[in-house]
Amino acid sequence: MNEPQRVVVTGIGVLSSIGNGVEEFTSALREGRCGAGPITSFDTTGFLRTFGHEVDGFRPEQWIHRLPVEQLGRATQFAVAAARMAVQDAGLDEQELAGLRAQITVGTTDGEAAELDKMMAESVAKGPEHPADQLVAGRLPSHQLALAIARELRLPRAVPAVLGTACAAGNYAIGDGFDAVRSGEADIAVVGGADAICRRTFAGFSRLGLVSSDFCRPFDADREGLLTAEGAGVLVLETLESARHRGARIYAELLGYGLNCDAHHPTAPDQASVARCMELALADAGVKANEVDLVSAHGTGTPTNDITETRAIREVFGDNPPRTVALKAMLGHSMGAASALGAAASALALAHGFVPPTVNHRTTDPQCQIDCVPNHSVPADLRVVVNNGLAFGGNNASVVLGRHDEELVR
Amino acid sequence: MSAVAIDEAKVREIVADCLDLEVEELTLTDHFIDHYGADSLNAIEVLARLEKEFHVTIPQEELANMVNLSAVLEVLSRANAR
Amino acid sequence: MSPSTIHRDAPLITAWSAVSPFGLGREAFAAGVGRGEPAHEVPDFDTRKVLGKAGTRTFDRATGLAVTAVRELLDEAEAAQSPIATGGGTALVLGTTLGSAHSSAGFSRASFEGDKPYDVPAQLMPNVLMNGPAAATAIRFDLKGPNTTLAGGAAGGLLALGYARRLLAADRAERAVVGAVEEQSTTREWLAGLAEQPLGEGSVVLLMETARTLPPGRRVLAELLALDVRLDIDDDPARALADVVREALDQAGATPDEVWAAAVTGQPARDQLAALVGAEAVDRVPALFGDTGSAGTVFSLTTVLSLAEHDPTATGRVAVIASLDHQGLAACAVLRLTGGDR
Repeated sequence: MNEPQRVVVTGIGVLSSIGNGVEEFTSALREGRCGAGPITSFDTTGFLRTFGHEVDGFRPEQWIHRLPVEQLGRATQFAVAAARMAVQDAGLDEQELAGLRAQITVGTTDGEAAELDKMMAESVAKGPEHPADQLVAGRLPSHQLALAIARELRLPRAVPAVLGTACAAGNYAIGDGFDAVRSGEADIAVVGGADAICRRTFAGFSRLGLVSSDFCRPFDADREGLLTAEGAGVLVLETLESARHRGARIYAELLGYGLNCDAHHPTAPDQASVARCMELALADAGVKANEVDLVSAHGTGTPTNDITETRAIREVFGDNPPRTVALKAMLGHSMGAASALGAAASALALAHGFVPPTVNHRTTDPQCQIDCVPNHSVPADLRVVVNNGLAFGGNNASVVLGRHDEELVR
Repeated sequence: MSAVAIDEAKVREIVADCLDLEVEELTLTDHFIDHYGADSLNAIEVLARLEKEFHVTIPQEELANMVNLSAVLEVLSRANAR
Repeated sequence: MSPSTIHRDAPLITAWSAVSPFGLGREAFAAGVGRGEPAHEVPDFDTRKVLGKAGTRTFDRATGLAVTAVRELLDEAEAAQSPIATGGGTALVLGTTLGSAHSSAGFSRASFEGDKPYDVPAQLMPNVLMNGPAAATAIRFDLKGPNTTLAGGAAGGLLALGYARRLLAADRAERAVVGAVEEQSTTREWLAGLAEQPLGEGSVVLLMETARTLPPGRRVLAELLALDVRLDIDDDPARALADVVREALDQAGATPDEVWAAAVTGQPARDQLAALVGAEAVDRVPALFGDTGSAGTVFSLTTVLSLAEHDPTATGRVAVIASLDHQGLAACAVLRLTGGDR
């Protein structure tokens, strides 16, 4: 049995509908920017609702230097670019990286499903006898997302894993990196989530009646649903000791996480199980419920999620729960990237002392009794943030982050 | 008013299939959730398949009204053509 | 702050089962290994006949295979009077390549072919997501612990083992059901194009426990000593495989002459492996199912466990289970075969 190490976040890479790169992302969170607009990635003709959140101004060649960019699917490009941003942000050069044992875990919902959509469009047009384009087919296996990072950063000893735990995948990946670093199995973890917007998932959410006609309004009495989105969030994790040794900037400490499964229904969340997940995370972090200052909710803006999650939060935190924000109002639902972007935002909120708002908000649903910090960010002396990711299949994951303060003796 | 003719037998067949029932097990009045153990996903499937079959649009808000076969027929009768 | 502890006890493999081209369950698998004739498709597998009608209407083949494999594992343990607890203490970790390619493609196709682009079968949405099989298995057997779907292609099974090992070490579950599932389908054939190997399918699961949580009377079949991966970044995949096998043996404190059985799946690399651990060990493990993607390594392991069951000379020796994919990702696990003793 080894003494577990403390794990800190020293690098952040983000691609999102409200900004790319940590600086732009931070100001957008403060300003309460909303990245919604008409979807352009695929033809939305015939859909009743056509809004989504897409990443603008993404130039993959800015971040991807070794791999042939045109041969990578968009989700893989996102994952690699965000990973490159994160390691640069952490101040790690390639020479330093090369000597490290790295855990690379990327969460995704759809992987390169947008590529499969294109193949199916072609197959429908040309008939089933038309052979599959092998170049495109080669992009489909989801483990590309992690493998491409290892290849681009030239990390032959990295362990590249991709977790397909749907919309909680980002938090799952962060948890995996946390365990790998905390146990000493890896020196560094490059972890998070990535997804590119795709037609089939948009069609699925549309058919399920979960897509909003204009904006995503979590916890709002008139909320209509979510908007699908794309993006990537990647964190660099290392031990506190290693960060101190390198003199690295520390955004936040990763205190712990919790995972569980509802084992209840393929699509409907289970309140008790969601509450249990947060409790597992708090216990793992060694944090009491009353020490939590902010919850970054899964908060999809669908009628069911927001009520169930609010109730679960009240079950865990009591009648005066911490402020609870839903970043999906700004970011849309970026699937496997969602909770990773949530964790990145949580770390930035802790580092810079503010609460990002729940935008697009009009009137809080009386069934969602929480302070969702409507529309405007507020300065706040945050110590502990809980970041939730919930998924179809009842895959829940909560991550707990704490402010890092060298003077603060725990 | 619906612009299309509703084939009641076809509706019954679709609903029974969605609820995983034999056609003769499905009555006009028994409640989908309470009696047949259906859930929200089954309800959406019913709505989606009826829309597709009869080329109509059923507003999402009607889901709550679609509690049994009789109610489904009523909802369908007021659905608009696509 | 009192974070939970990290345990270093070696994970133990204490049970396994499979739905394979040899049929349902462990005995059928072991009998097929005994016969040694290759097969590729799970015979007569009709999900609703195998699992019953309740709750299975929307299952795709991958989901049916995974649920059935776990059912076999739980039932066989029950029959052996060594039941496996379910609930919050049990994790499920399943390897995959891209989930059900057939479900994904069908859903996408429906959007293009439908009268409206949203004319997709909403009830099948869970099948489109990679976690469909793991989620359905959890619902069926009340597995409320961590529930993880790991996409890793040929390395997927071994990466799932490594992931499960981390979960147990960090006390996130008391035991893990870990394995992989791949389904055969026209879509998978179509995507594979003119692949060199025939495609195979199945689901295979292991029970991983540690000495801390081992119930009395449980047989220990193998101990996971080491697991490592290596990515070829210099266009020399054979070297990546050699490096990872040597490294894993080294971590395990084992020498090549201790290796009783060895197998590599994914890319053809039997000769390279034989050069590292001896031809006898490699020849001992027949390749039976063709390309079973992420399930390949786990099938290799259960093939070894089946053979070891009838060969007392295996006890105390080592199994090397490796994979190499077409992108040069090599993975290797080293296990001590313990012959069913504690």
